[in-house]
Parts: sequence; C-alpha cells; structure tokens
Amino acid sequence: MRAEIAIIGGGIQGLMLAFCLAERGQENIVVVDAGYWQGGASGRNGTLVRPGFSSPEWTGLFSHSHRLWLGLSRRLGHNVMVSRRGYVVLAESERTAAVCEQVLRTGEQSGVELRRLPGDELRRSVPALSHQRIKSAVMFDAGGTAPHHATMKGLYAACRERGVALRYQTTVTGIERQGDSVSALQLGDERLDADCVVIAAGASSPDVARLAGVELEGRPWRLEACAIEPTRAALGPALAMLDRTVYMHQTARGEIVGGCEVEGDWAGLTLASDLPVVTHYARHLVEMLPSLAGQRILRQWAGHIHATEDFAPLLGPHPDCRGLWITAGWSYGIAGAPGGGDLLAKAIVTGEIDTRMAPFAVDRKRRGKLIREGAIVVSH
Amino acid sequence: MDRDQPAGETVTIHWEGRPVAARPGQDIASALFAAGIHVLGRSRKFHRPQGLGGIFVAGVKAEIDGMPNRRLDQTLVGAGQTIRMQNTWPNGRFDLMRLAGLIPRRWLRAGFEHPAFLPGGSRRFQLWESFLRVMAGGARPADPSLAGAMLPGERLAIDVAIVGGGPAGRKAAIEAASRGQSVLLISRGKKPGAIAAALGAALPDLPPGVALLAGWEAAGLYRRGTLLLCAPLDGGPAKLIEAQRLVLATGRRSIPPLVSGADLPGVLDLSAAVSLLSQGTDFGRTILIGTGDLQALGKRLSGMGATITATHAAAALRRVSGRHRVERAEFATDSTECDAIIHAGPWRSDPALAFQASADGVFRLGASALPGHIEIAGSAAARDEPIIHGPTLDDHAFVCPCMDVTVGEIRDLVNAGVTHVEELKRLTGCGMGPCQGFPCWDLMAAALAEITGEPAASFGHPSYRPPRGTLSIAQAAGLADLVTPETPP
Repeated sequence: MRAEIAIIGGGIQGLMLAFCLAERGQENIVVVDAGYWQGGASGRNGTLVRPGFSSPEWTGLFSHSHRLWLGLSRRLGHNVMVSRRGYVVLAESERTAAVCEQVLRTGEQSGVELRRLPGDELRRSVPALSHQRIKSAVMFDAGGTAPHHATMKGLYAACRERGVALRYQTTVTGIERQGDSVSALQLGDERLDADCVVIAAGASSPDVARLAGVELEGRPWRLEACAIEPTRAALGPALAMLDRTVYMHQTARGEIVGGCEVEGDWAGLTLASDLPVVTHYARHLVEMLPSLAGQRILRQWAGHIHATEDFAPLLGPHPDCRGLWITAGWSYGIAGAPGGGDLLAKAIVTGEIDTRMAPFAVDRKRRGKLIREGAIVVSH
Repeated sequence: MDRDQPAGETVTIHWEGRPVAARPGQDIASALFAAGIHVLGRSRKFHRPQGLGGIFVAGVKAEIDGMPNRRLDQTLVGAGQTIRMQNTWPNGRFDLMRLAGLIPRRWLRAGFEHPAFLPGGSRRFQLWESFLRVMAGGARPADPSLAGAMLPGERLAIDVAIVGGGPAGRKAAIEAASRGQSVLLISRGKKPGAIAAALGAALPDLPPGVALLAGWEAAGLYRRGTLLLCAPLDGGPAKLIEAQRLVLATGRRSIPPLVSGADLPGVLDLSAAVSLLSQGTDFGRTILIGTGDLQALGKRLSGMGATITATHAAAALRRVSGRHRVERAEFATDSTECDAIIHAGPWRSDPALAFQASADGVFRLGASALPGHIEIAGSAAARDEPIIHGPTLDDHAFVCPCMDVTVGEIRDLVNAGVTHVEELKRLTGCGMGPCQGFPCWDLMAAALAEITGEPAASFGHPSYRPPRGTLSIAQAAGLADLVTPETPP
C-alpha cells in the first residue's frame, strides 16, 4: 500500500488538512487514527472560535482562520453550523484589563473586527453575570462557536467525497525512515509507504514523533469540561474569563458547556472524570453567574491536548526529518483548524511557508523564539 | 409514599395556573397523576406527550417556582408551589409548539439543531440558529434574581458504604455493622427499600449504628472507585465519601419493550406503579406485562388497589397507542383498551457506577474488573435480561424517548456504515438527555443487534458520565476545597 500523503490523526486538524490538500488537487491521501471518529479532543472541546488575541502572531493565524471558518460550510458543501453569536473576553483585574487593552490594540493593527464592550451592553447580552466584578470586556462580534459534531461530520463527509481514505481505530506502530527522510508507516502487520507524513495526533503527537526518532516539545495535558442541564437561551455570547481560566457557551441544544483549569491538576492521561475541575468551575459559576447555582450538572468529561511551552501550535516541517510535517500542540485547535489546515496544505504542496505560519515553527523553543500570548485561558 | 397521611389534609399547588389539591408528603408527579394530569412534559424535537413513567426521566422535568428542570417525581408537594410545563410556548394549556408534531420526523433526524437543508454561513441559517437558541432546551432559564450561593459540602471516611436500601443493601449493612465496622447506607428513596417491601420482600431493620442518607443520590464514582460523590435530592450540601469497602446494591429496573408508544404517559415501570398505588392513586384499567411470574405479581398489585384487566408476557406486546396517554395496547393475538400499562421485566441493572469504578483509557473509556474494594450485591449482580422487541423491529419505536431518537434513525445510520456506539451517540444525541445512557444505550444496543445480526453485547456502550443531573452547581461548588488534584506518579 502506498499513500502520497499519510496523515496520523483524524481529528479536526487531520481532517481539515486532508480536505485542504484534496482541494489543492492532491490525491491518494490516507488518514489513520488510533481512536474512533470524534473520540479525541476534537469531540470534547469547548467549540469556541474567535479571531483575535494579544500577540500579533496568534492574531495573524487565528484571524485568517476565522475568515475561513465563516466560509467553511460553502467550501465543504456541508453545514458546519458556525454561530456568530459573539465571543466576549472578560477581565476582572488590572492585569487582565491590560491584556484586553493589548488585544484591542493588536486587533486594530491587524484589521480584526473587535471592540471594547460597554458595560450596559454586556448587561443586556448576559444579564445573569456578576457585572460588578468586570473591569473590562472585549467583544468579537463575529466570534462564537463551531460545534464539533457538525464540523466533524461535515469534514468527514467532504473528505470521503473527495476520495480521502479515512481509517479510524487503526494504530500507527512505527514510522520508517530512509536516512534523513520518512518512508513508511507501520500499522501493525501492515505497511503503508509514504514519503510525506503529517503528525496531527493531538495529545499523542510527541509519542508519535518519537516513532520517527524525533522529538516534539510539549507534553500531553488533561482537561475537563461539563454540561449543565438545558434551558432556553441564558447566555448570549460565548465567554472567556481570563482571571479564572473559565470558558463557556450555551449550545444550540440549550446546555451550558464549559470548564476551567485547576492549578496542579496533572491527573495523568485518562478519559476518566475527576472532581477538581468540575467543583472549581462550579465555584466560579456561583461567583460569576449566581442564578445558575440551582442548575444541575448533566455530565462531565475529560480530554487531552498537547500542551507546548507557550501553548501555541507547532505548525510546519519537522527540522530533523525530511517529509515529516507537524500540526500539533493546539490548545485553541477548533478556532485555528481552518487556518492551520490551509497554510500547512499550502506549504506541503508548494513548499512555501506562509508568514502567518512561520512564527509557529516546530523548533521555535530550541531557537528561543517562544510566543508570548496572554489572552488565552489555558495558562498559569 | 404514605398511606398513613391523614386523607383529609390537603394543600393547593398550581399546575399551569390551575389549582390542584395535593397531600403533603406526596411527590408532585404523583399528586398530579392522582388529579388526572398525566402529560407533564413535551419531548424535545417531536413534542410528543411525556409523563411519569419511572424509567424515562424527561417526562417528569418541569419548572417549579421559577427554577427549571426540577424533577417532579423527586420533589415533595409544598403549599402554593407554582409548576409549569417546559418546552411549551406560550404555555402548557395553549401550546403553539404542538405544531412541531406536524413536521415530518425524518427532517428532524440527527438533532434538529443540525438541519442539512439550511446552508451554513447564510443569513437564513443564522436566523434559524437564533430561533433554536430561543426554543432549545425547553425550559426557561432561572431568573437572574434567583441567585444562589455555594453549599459547603463534607468529606467523610467510612469503613463500608452501601448504595441501595433494599434487601441486599440492608443485609450488607447488618453484616458489616455486626463486624464492628462503621457503615453508611445511601438510598434514593426517603424510606429505603419501600418499593421492595410493598412487593413483599422482607426488610430487616437497620442496626442503630448504621448512618443513613435517605433521599440521596449516588451521583458518581471517581478515582478508581475510591471517592463516591453523593448529593441529596432536596438540593442540600453534597458529600464525598471515602469507603474502605463499597457495596453497590442498586437493584434492577424494568425496561419496556422496544415498541412504538412504550413511552406514552400511563406506561409505568413497576416501581413507579407501586409508588403511586401506595399513595392510593387509582389508574384505571391496567394491563400488566413483564417477565417471570406475572400471576402472583398481578394478585399483589390488585391487593394494593390496582385494576389489572389483563396480563401478558412482555414479548407479546406489539404496539401501544393513544393520543395523550395510553389508550390501547396491541399484542400478538389481540388488542385491548386500557388506561395504564405496568411493565415488570425485562430487568436490567444500571451499570453507571460500576463502569465509573474501573473505567480507564486514553482513546476510549472501557471498564475492566471491579477494584477489589467494590462488590455488586443482590439483584444488581444478576444477569441482565435481554431487551424485548417484536418479531420485526419497529422503526417508530424510540431507543431514546427523552432525545427523540427512533429505531429508524439508528437503522439509517447503520445502513450508512456507522455502528460504533460512541459515534452513534454523537450523531443522534442518544443517551445525552437526563438519563445519561441508562436505559437508552441498552435499547440502542438491542436495536443494533437486531439490525446487524451481531450480539448486542458486542457493541458495548458509550461511557457513563457522572453526575447525571443529580448535582447542582451550588452543591459542586461546595466540594472544591475537599479535593486536591492527584499528582502524577
């Protein structure tokens, strides 16, 4: 068996890249994934999408990605249900208010649609919020959510329609090299020849890279989220609370879905639920949205991401192995997937590294070029 | 749940603006049932009538005094309560949302939040999505003025914790107490084992030293079964329990046959029926179906005041029909008018806690052998009886009544090549409602087995996620200081 391009990981990064490559005329693309469809972080995330951050690097990549999100349904021929309900970043301290100012400045310089949200407008759109705690709010009017069930379904169908081979529950057991170059994947007893291999394996990416004898910086990291029993619209926009690392939105089904981080929560790689996140998240809600206090939690779940030193993605060729490409290290993977897929496909097909992708180079830590980004809710 | 209640003493509650006389000590669902009010809710997509049934939960969720999603079968009557039906507009009495019943069901497959016929990114889709967000969820959100506070919980260590107050749970409690161990028994019912006792089981008294949490739900099991999360149904502070030994004596539930109409109001599982009967409720001409010795059970139910007009093996049921509630039951050989159906079997145990005790995995959660400190006792340990359906699988039957997932929807997906239960769950929403998978995933596996010819057990089930709508934000918040993150080895 031979693949022109083999992609390891059938989550949103792998499928988006496969679709973008197929769109550019590439044929014989094979995607393999050790889990089931939507079983990884692409089926377990907060689904939030926004175009702007505090750093020009993130803003460049994610604003490109956001533009692509808004046209993705038409490209795929399937409705991915992107909802432009708005996305509000909230600050409760001087420190995070300054981050909001930086987001506004960077956004204005980069032509991102965003604005300072006046208190009275925030009161109207999220009446249940503890407004007295809010120091500053930034609104992305075109931000919102991209529900993973619809996106993954659309991508799956679009990839199949374009002849991409999708193989779930198929584990990569080895990556063969000939000298400096990648040459094949071992799938148990089976061998898949490929001189272009992409690692898009989420939390497993460092392990998969080691199969090719190369390192990827970062570590697998476990996150948790939960859903509250459904009601009619209680939250307008999606919310990110910088001081609390809380993110949340209300789904089209009426459930409020969100989570937070708990310092020191390193409960190992398992999908089993634990208590620190759900209880601390609940405490944040009691403080910030006290009318939810009596609402009940329907379910909680865990998922894994690949956390890099600066929580930014690793995007581009691997410097130590020819033919090996990386799209990994995503912590805002849903928001960034269309942009990441587009730019990486361009790089693979044309060899040209786009300037919006270049800062996310795989070896940036080694070169001392980490990206400073303060407007994300996944870092302590 | 009480015959001892003085018959004359009543209070007034308000259902959809209408005053209803109820007895203190009754749960609201039973009081409404006794008053002839059977339709308590409307299903999510198709707007079908739903009510008190025991095993399916969506029918007993309503707004009580401005708080959405309260369980009417777990909330006691209180004078002056205002109760409103959810998922109606503008109200339950004059409900324009019933028009949803006219939409072809095929259009609403795969979740009506995902309509294939509206292009994404279009203005029309944004309007549809905004409309959905107003209508979805069914319940009105709590008024922002109803602010609640954190309820500080408690963490306690005990030698033996037992979930379930029936005969097996009591037996385990007595044995442990006789060994001098500290014992905690957690029971969903206010009177542990009352249903079993009403059905003739001997209920040994609990020794005085046994601590009792009655009216509590075991909401989830964490950290390889070492941490049990419990929450009281009345909304008070929750507890985390660390037990040296844990006994799961959670009993079994009856699952109705996978036929059309089996979730109509008036179809009651045995425990819901016994609970109603013991409160003196008359539910008219009743057909008893099930597995096992139905004659003896029928006699006992008659003795409790039920009017059993016919008794059939569950396997003979073909279809249940009725506009707002059960009106007719069709069997293999005949068809009978009736006002209620009680099902007593097939019996299956709720696997959620046992699953959570051992579930692990990086790509998929799977259960393995129970940890050594946990045992399953009593009927919960008995072999599950197979789900029953007619000789041909009815495409109009619901595998998940709360989320409106039909056999036909599952069949179409199987024909499109999808048989992985986690994928089916994500594509249909099956089991993502208030029950969180039991019994819906059992019904889904039975449908898969019939459609594909493979054994039901070969499909497994999606992961049973805690806390299944039993823990409020206020209760969860009160536990935050009691759990520290586990450190990596």
